[in-house]
Amino acid sequence: MHLSLEDLLAVRDGGATGEAAGHAPSCPECTVEIERLRSVQRGLAALPEERPAQDLWPALRQELAARRQRHRWVLAGWAAACLAAAFTLVIGVRGGLEAWKEAKLARETRELVATSQRLEQRLRTYGGASRVVSGRTAGAIVQLEDRIAVVDAQLGRVGADRVHSQDVLELWQERVRLLDALVSVQTTRTAYVGL
Amino acid sequence: MALNLFEPATVLHPGVPTGVTTRATQKTAEDDLLVARAKAGNEAALETLFRHFEAPVYTLARRLTRTPHDAEDVLQETFLEVLRSIGGFRGDGSFAGWIRRVAASKALMKLRQQASRVPEEELSAELADAVAADRDHGIAPIATAPERLDLEAALARLPDTARVVIWLHDVEGYSHDEIAAMAGKTASFSKSQLARAHARLREMLTPRLEGPCT
Repeated sequence: MHLSLEDLLAVRDGGATGEAAGHAPSCPECTVEIERLRSVQRGLAALPEERPAQDLWPALRQELAARRQRHRWVLAGWAAACLAAAFTLVIGVRGGLEAWKEAKLARETRELVATSQRLEQRLRTYGGASRVVSGRTAGAIVQLEDRIAVVDAQLGRVGADRVHSQDVLELWQERVRLLDALVSVQTTRTAYVGL
Repeated sequence: MALNLFEPATVLHPGVPTGVTTRATQKTAEDDLLVARAKAGNEAALETLFRHFEAPVYTLARRLTRTPHDAEDVLQETFLEVLRSIGGFRGDGSFAGWIRRVAASKALMKLRQQASRVPEEELSAELADAVAADRDHGIAPIATAPERLDLEAALARLPDTARVVIWLHDVEGYSHDEIAAMAGKTASFSKSQLARAHARLREMLTPRLEGPCT
């Protein structure tokens, strides 16, 4: 019984099982077959190198140049895209920041207007013409009311486009502060009259 | 039956050690230097690498593929891959081993593309005739050793799979496991194809080498 071709190849390549490896040296036919397989392997390995019929390097060099050009364009494209993205980001952030600031101004102004209205409401409850005040208190009240009038005049000159500006906010802050002072004076007077 | 044996399988990556050392795959300092310069984009180094590996890669491609034109395609695709991937070549193995592996992979890809179009049995016969015609007309530069030409003609007449396996195993030194990984098959399949290739070669060579004298 001789080795199969797969076993013969395995013996030739040194990867045979123990049984096949043990059989081969003692079998002249298998030994000849293994040598024949080695001879074919040597024959294949000895086939000469071949070269292509045409020189392919010029085409490859052209491709290389084209690839480098494409690479440069891609880099330039990326650079432009990054620049555009950065610009958009800055504009976006700035726009967002300004919108946020404007919203904050509007909210604070609304709160001041509401406070101002509440204070005026309180002042109305103290009455006006029939009040009895000392000369000093009357002076203080007049002074405060004059200053409020000045603020109101300034607020009256504010255009629709500047309703939520920092200047207007400050004017409303000033008005609330003056009204608050006026309420304090009136509160003190009422308390005094009440006594 | 038309072959569809080489399914898409292992993707080869630069720098993966091949373990193949039979055919000029030893790492050399000269290769290292050239590869370093080529990586830096030096065109002269790239051309030197091409000139250095042109013949071995073409020969490998010629043995694995069906026609000289296919082999030229494989040579070109191999070097385009080298241009693309040389930056990622880590140098763990030899550059020669890497480039041969890329070439083998490209050749297998070419065969896979063709497997569905042209039945390989028909084509192998045509190719063998073409090799014989070259020999008869003295076109092939190797026409001085008749037994070698017989072997070359017989190799060309083998079915694609058998031819690829016998060349990769017996000449390039790939193990059955490596061939199996490249072809998307098992090591047993590679072994049986190797045996099949040798059986077919024997059939084709025996009448000439050992036939009765007339």
